[in-house]
Amino acid sequence: MNALLTSAVAGLTAGGTYALLGVCAVFTYRLVAVVNFTGAAIGTAGTFVLIALFEAGFPIWPSVLAGIAAGTATGVAIGYIMTRWFGEASASTKAAVTVALLVGLIAVGLRLTGGQHPHNMPDLFPGSAFRLAGVEVTIASVLTIGLAVLFTILSNLFLNRTKVGLNLRALADRPMAAELLGVRVQLLSLLVWGMTGAFTTFALMIIAPQRSPNFMTLSLLVVPALAAALIGVFRSFWWTLAGGIALGIVEGLASSIDSVSQYRSAIPFLVVLAVLLWSQREARWDEAR
Amino acid sequence: MSRLVVSNLSIDRAELPVVTSVDLVAKSGAISVVLGANGAGKTTLLEGLSGIIPVAAGSIAIDGRELQKARPGARSREGLAHVEQGRTVFRQLTTEENLHVSLHPGADIAEAYALFPELVQRRTVKASLLSGGEQQMLVIARALLTRPKVLLIDEMSAGLAPVIVTRLMTAVRKLANDGLAVVLVEQFAALALSIGNRAYVMRRGRVVYDGDCAKLRQSQDELHRLYLGGAETSVPA
Repeated sequence: MNALLTSAVAGLTAGGTYALLGVCAVFTYRLVAVVNFTGAAIGTAGTFVLIALFEAGFPIWPSVLAGIAAGTATGVAIGYIMTRWFGEASASTKAAVTVALLVGLIAVGLRLTGGQHPHNMPDLFPGSAFRLAGVEVTIASVLTIGLAVLFTILSNLFLNRTKVGLNLRALADRPMAAELLGVRVQLLSLLVWGMTGAFTTFALMIIAPQRSPNFMTLSLLVVPALAAALIGVFRSFWWTLAGGIALGIVEGLASSIDSVSQYRSAIPFLVVLAVLLWSQREARWDEAR
Repeated sequence: MSRLVVSNLSIDRAELPVVTSVDLVAKSGAISVVLGANGAGKTTLLEGLSGIIPVAAGSIAIDGRELQKARPGARSREGLAHVEQGRTVFRQLTTEENLHVSLHPGADIAEAYALFPELVQRRTVKASLLSGGEQQMLVIARALLTRPKVLLIDEMSAGLAPVIVTRLMTAVRKLANDGLAVVLVEQFAALALSIGNRAYVMRRGRVVYDGDCAKLRQSQDELHRLYLGGAETSVPA
């Protein structure tokens, strides 16, 4: 029983990261209408700037800031491509473009970072925060979940209580109508891409020491992130948050059961499949009526 | 006195000419009515003016400032407001939130409610739940709060009951009387001509009539000929 609890708690760090990446995916989808497959790759680019600076002997916290700045800049660059050339494209076209960009980012990232070559990723927050039922809960777990909760709360407050948030909601609904009213559509879109770039970079910096820190592995964290976003139906920040944490816990539990541990990376795919099948089932029901 | 001057404007869609060599003037305090059959190029003309689609040739100027290369947002900030056809409310926002999106620092939401008191009791209702007439009032009021010099309105009567259309026409006339330059694209020709000052009739992307609304209103036969073709064009040289 204690082993199961330990495994579940061990999954919290990953769960917090999935939740934060998922909330960022929902944020991007709700505000600029893009299902963004590059979310984790953007954060990975920033994380590898941190790794490169750290390995070159630079002090850690200035390197973290430089990494977050690089992640933000990568997000803005992807956002510029999406708003400049695909602003009026359909949702499926935009999603396809981000898949193509993900492939390109991974190819360039692997080339620049030496492929599978091992890297020295600094553990930003080592150690235990507290004990829960006899199990150590790491600072990284608390921080990723805290960051995900903070981003969720801030997103809700920002969207519902500020003029910029109101303009972003209008932009998400009808981009052209918003632009015709003088809303600075491109600027706001780039703001969304930059914000999500900064948050995902920081989340990936926290989780990277626990993963194989190569560009592809980290970039593909977008899969559990989108699974979490699907649980929130790409609408609800809180359901996405809960879904991301639950995914991490289930993955942690699966790793403690020998017969299923080798398949644990398939869990996000199963969740995506289940949610999509569930939504199709509802569609059929509607049709039958 | 604000003034929109459109000179020799041509607009293509999918590389096909849809609007060709159009000249149009909209003056402060007046309504310029643009009429024509379906497919004449009226909506394309307005979309080219507001920057939704690029223009192929010609110029668009408000008070002498050329705008044909500016993005839609920049044209809006220069005083050009476009009420698109299809009642483009922000569906997930309430009536009041819709108005706040467009609120210019020098404008007051009370102006919108003064123009359309019907919206006051619907201020907290999601725009998607408003009636068609209320939605049309909302998009006109929303455009008004950008503090425009020129207001382009596309097919505001589409799908609405005649009593609502009359109500909207009265409001648009009031906006012009208050000093706005209005360009009104409309299917209900008789009603539009009754509130307009200057009329433009388009056929196959060209202006085939440019003259007084009153004169055209008195000659239904000429209006029919202009719509359907076979008439000499009545555009002053």
